[in-house]
Amino acid sequence: MKNIFNPFASISKQNTSIMIVVQVLITLMVWHNTSNGLIPRPGQVAAAFGKLLTTKLLLDNMLVSLVLTLKAMCYSIIITLFFTYASVIPFFKTIAQFIVKCRYLTLTGLIFIFTLLTKDGSQLKLSLLVFGIVPFFTTSFLAVILNIDKQEFELCKTLGYSNWQTLYEVIIVGKADQVFEILRQNFAISWLMITMVEGLSMSEGGIGSLLIKYNKYNDLTNVIALQLLIFLIGLCFDFLLGTTRRWLFPHCKLKQATS
Amino acid sequence: MTVYSKTNTLLQASNIGLGYDDKIILRDINFCIKDIVRPGMQQGQVISLIGRSGIGKTQLFKILSGLQKPTTGTVAINGDQTVKAGDMGVIFQNYYLFEWRTVYQSLLMAAKKNPQLKGKEKAMVDHYAGEFQLTSELKKYPQQLSGGQRQRASIIQQLLKGSSFLLLDEPFSGLDVCVLDKVTDLLLQVSLSDELKTLIIVSHDISTSVAISDTVLILGNEAGKEGATIKKEIDLVERDLAWKKDIKKEKTFIETVAEIKACL
Repeated sequence: MKNIFNPFASISKQNTSIMIVVQVLITLMVWHNTSNGLIPRPGQVAAAFGKLLTTKLLLDNMLVSLVLTLKAMCYSIIITLFFTYASVIPFFKTIAQFIVKCRYLTLTGLIFIFTLLTKDGSQLKLSLLVFGIVPFFTTSFLAVILNIDKQEFELCKTLGYSNWQTLYEVIIVGKADQVFEILRQNFAISWLMITMVEGLSMSEGGIGSLLIKYNKYNDLTNVIALQLLIFLIGLCFDFLLGTTRRWLFPHCKLKQATS
Repeated sequence: MTVYSKTNTLLQASNIGLGYDDKIILRDINFCIKDIVRPGMQQGQVISLIGRSGIGKTQLFKILSGLQKPTTGTVAINGDQTVKAGDMGVIFQNYYLFEWRTVYQSLLMAAKKNPQLKGKEKAMVDHYAGEFQLTSELKKYPQQLSGGQRQRASIIQQLLKGSSFLLLDEPFSGLDVCVLDKVTDLLLQVSLSDELKTLIIVSHDISTSVAISDTVLILGNEAGKEGATIKKEIDLVERDLAWKKDIKKEKTFIETVAEIKACL
């Protein structure tokens, strides 16, 4: 246990578990003792969290948000893969680079344009989410392509592959596991954006609109309980995508072990 | 003295030069590799390209493999055909293999690139894996292989692809003495697999390279001239130093190694 403050020290799984439990307990104690009348105590949040879980309201809103997020993720990954795979073709390279720069655009300034371009609130939310996610996905995946070891291309050449075969082997097949990793890393961004875009069209519900409602009435206990739930769902997706990646691409597990 | 003759030209490097901006890396490189014929056996060719670190060996290696275009000159194989990427089998220094493919998948992909193996790709993969003692490793990924296994997998991959030429970049670097012997045996085995099989070994390990070669090309700088060139070509067959076991103990061998060292 002495090692927990030593740089680069490795500690056993058991000690890690004990350390985490102690850290959580300290956090909860600090939270409990520093809370005043306005900030709810951990016990109150836990009670509200339990209550929230049993309500149909939460389930309905959560489903709306999840469906919207998954739809946006699907569209985003299709658009991202198209432009990043195509970025090795000079005509598409500049377009992919422009998409990367689009991450500096704020969604708030584009709401009116998107409202004009879309038919209803549902489409508006979806398109805003996709527009928000794609630049981040593209940035991450383009970095993967740019960092490909030159030897991967050279090996293809020595094996007599054409440029299209090299694209297929090195980028599409060879980096398929990276797509999952990027999806996992960027899911947090889409999960972050969903609460924002749902506030734009509250009639359809969603955890974002629920959060805004609770905030409006200063119901901080439920706000924190809902944040906790959003956090836990995020962790579940993180785990799920990580596990799926290791299952589909066993070599990535080996790569992590050897690095 | 071994009976042999040198017949057809297999590779001709003519006036090769390479420069970046104002810096000349390679200049006036000329050499020719001929088919060595020994009665009653299949004898391939083993040529060592020796030079100091940083002299331009890797650049010449890439030019010979068709991966890099020279600033001047040409490399011609099979008569007057200018070499291009894919014509030669290339084994990189770190025995690179696709990390996302199992050994079997990598080998099968290489076999499918060889029109002469059409219809019998899987059988040939199994054959070579057996011959190179890799059968039990076929389902593994490259990260699960030892350095020696990776090297054998890389060699099989290029053999299955079917090129007569095999270029090896520093195949002896970082190997311990026991593995080194196995690697040299393996390369000799490859060189004897076909009459036209030609191995070009780029290395700075003089002793090991000379021990398995029939020709040595020394890459170095000449006084007052910028850029490396072939300073000397040594025909080891003429000196009766080729194709012999335990050659390293012979006096002529030791003298030849000393001669090469003095030339670098």
